[in-house]
Amino acid sequence: MTSSMTSVLNRSQKKANRPSDEQLAAFGAELDALRERTLSDLGERDARYIRRIVAAVRYTEVLGRGLLFFGLFPPAWIVGTLLLGIAKILDNMELGHNVMHGQYDWMNDPHLSGKSFEWDLVGTSDHWRKTHNYNHHTYTNIKGMDEDIGYGVLRLFPEQRWRPFFLGQPIYALIFALLFQWGVAIQDLRFGKFFNGKKSGKEMLGEMKPFLKKARRQLIKDYVIFPLLAGPFFVPVILGNLVANGIRNLWTYTIIFCGHFTADVQLFPKKVLKDETRGHWYFRQIRGSSNLTGSKLLHVMSGNLSHQIEHHLFPDIPAHRYAELSVEVRAICKRYGVHYNAGSLLSQFSQVIWRILRYSLPSKYVPINASA
Amino acid sequence: MTASQTLKRFVAPLVDPAVYDFWAQKLSPTLSWERCLARIESRHVEARDTISLVLKPNRRFQGFQPGQHLNVTVEVNGIRLTRSYSPSNALRSDGRIRLTIKAIPEGKVSRHLVHHSKVGDVVELGTTFGDMTLPKEAAAWLFVAAGSGITPIMSLLQTLLQKPLEQPVALIYWARTRADLCFSEDLHSLGKCDPLLKIHTVLTRESERLPGELDGRPREALFRNLVPDLERRRVYVCGPDGFVNSVRELVEPQAALFRAESFSPAPVVTRAGAPVTVTLSKSNISVQIPSGTPLLKALEDSGLKPAYGCRMGICNTCSCQKQSGSTTDTRNGTVQNEPSPVRLCINSANSDLTLEL
Repeated sequence: MTSSMTSVLNRSQKKANRPSDEQLAAFGAELDALRERTLSDLGERDARYIRRIVAAVRYTEVLGRGLLFFGLFPPAWIVGTLLLGIAKILDNMELGHNVMHGQYDWMNDPHLSGKSFEWDLVGTSDHWRKTHNYNHHTYTNIKGMDEDIGYGVLRLFPEQRWRPFFLGQPIYALIFALLFQWGVAIQDLRFGKFFNGKKSGKEMLGEMKPFLKKARRQLIKDYVIFPLLAGPFFVPVILGNLVANGIRNLWTYTIIFCGHFTADVQLFPKKVLKDETRGHWYFRQIRGSSNLTGSKLLHVMSGNLSHQIEHHLFPDIPAHRYAELSVEVRAICKRYGVHYNAGSLLSQFSQVIWRILRYSLPSKYVPINASA
Repeated sequence: MTASQTLKRFVAPLVDPAVYDFWAQKLSPTLSWERCLARIESRHVEARDTISLVLKPNRRFQGFQPGQHLNVTVEVNGIRLTRSYSPSNALRSDGRIRLTIKAIPEGKVSRHLVHHSKVGDVVELGTTFGDMTLPKEAAAWLFVAAGSGITPIMSLLQTLLQKPLEQPVALIYWARTRADLCFSEDLHSLGKCDPLLKIHTVLTRESERLPGELDGRPREALFRNLVPDLERRRVYVCGPDGFVNSVRELVEPQAALFRAESFSPAPVVTRAGAPVTVTLSKSNISVQIPSGTPLLKALEDSGLKPAYGCRMGICNTCSCQKQSGSTTDTRNGTVQNEPSPVRLCINSANSDLTLEL
């Protein structure tokens, strides 16, 4: 009994193991070399890949929307809705998310430019570039800086203080999942500040303008224009679009939560930022992320965020390269004794659900400095 | 405004140009909402390592004036690269343009176009520029070309010869060997069509000369013999940098008018720390910054406030289009001379730059 206890302890200690500063310097140099090797190899192959994804988005959207016009016929409605859902998922993840990281900027193609790409979501791309590309990717899993930790509504780590509010968390999590695109869209608007009087209504409205404009455009597209085009058969189109958006919301939520909120993922205090070296930064990215193992289809449909670790190490390398990079990243991690968190969708998502349920209930508050 | 333009303006807010282009190009590969694309209609070997391409632009093309350059963008190994080439024909009523391109040893675009482009390929055309154009009034001309510098001159000559000449026109055309001469047949027949036109070829590396061919570098005696009335000639020169400079020294003081275009060499790279000029094209500001310093910091030190995020090359917030100049990625030392997006926080200037900021 005692021996098995120790082995459990050892295992979790091993997962949190942080190599020495010198080891981390060498670790960082190896990852840098891998990065350079990949960057210098970018070319035709990557260009062809992303254009195939663009084509897949275009065809699935047209087929999906086309079939929904015949939505009174149930099989057409089902297939149409699924195809539109797939189009939206691909557009958001493998295309939009990745292009906006500047992964294809080297192609110098104005339609694939990270700075100007706009996606089929209610949130504006500009807003996403700030909350995600900047906040989340620079300050990954640093408590108090990375606002993706629970998105301000969920308690997922013992390092967050419990309040009775969190008892309702299983419900909030479900609502958040269904409305994920809206949650992400308003993440940076800070309604909290407005409600406790730190921001005037006028300021609030001003900040909301780009979001309102984008949301209006999206709503008109999905719930007015396309239904109108269907004439008398507008009801199945509205429903199909609603369900397709819902499918996309649930899927992206699942993938993103599996990437950062599995059982062994670690949080960091702000103090790690002081004199953080490249090696430390890489270490934090790996310990703050978790991968999904699975088929090629899973990787494409998740925008290769199933390789969340590689994405966090190299956010500007085309994501379809992550699968081949992961072999080397895993080997490098093994050499330095850094835990590489990977598991099936089922196993990782169960751990997410466990966190949502477990930390809705009171638990001993663990001060962040002690945990790191 | 035509009916189609009015319609276009009306529906523009509903159209995503990327989506329009995707579907339109299934019908015809040069259709585009707002970009000027052109299809390669034919290829013709013009001289050693040199081909002429006839392009058919779509309706977005604004046209060019004979003697001007045109930005041409092609995709090579997944990367879009832009170079300037001069159309080598007079304006045609069907809108087609002929580009004559010589493959240069390190030239990614020229080698691609000469060795790998096929009929049916699509290239993008950009802005036209250059002031070696023809005035309305008749004039006595001397055209001086070296190597592929013949291309704009050919366009000018063909345009001039659409009407009988009123005043004398001369072309002195330098090439290395006979095999390097472009438009041999065209020039030969042009030379016969108007007695006021004189064409001289100068070959610098040909072992045996045929009657009428000259040799040697540009020199005063040669110009004096071939064009004794230099003082009444307007002179246009096009060729490599060194060539243009030596002709300028010999001819400019005497000619009635002198204009020259030389092939733009790679950006002049300075030593680290030396000042370079950064032009911000959207804000219309120029500042001097030290080369070798990350652009973000250097611009901030000059009192500017470009958008930024992580300051370490991750978030892409400070990325902007570099329109010209050479930069170094400070993380790995990679030098980038092509126009491309740059992240200001991890790139430093090697030369004068133009940024779309």
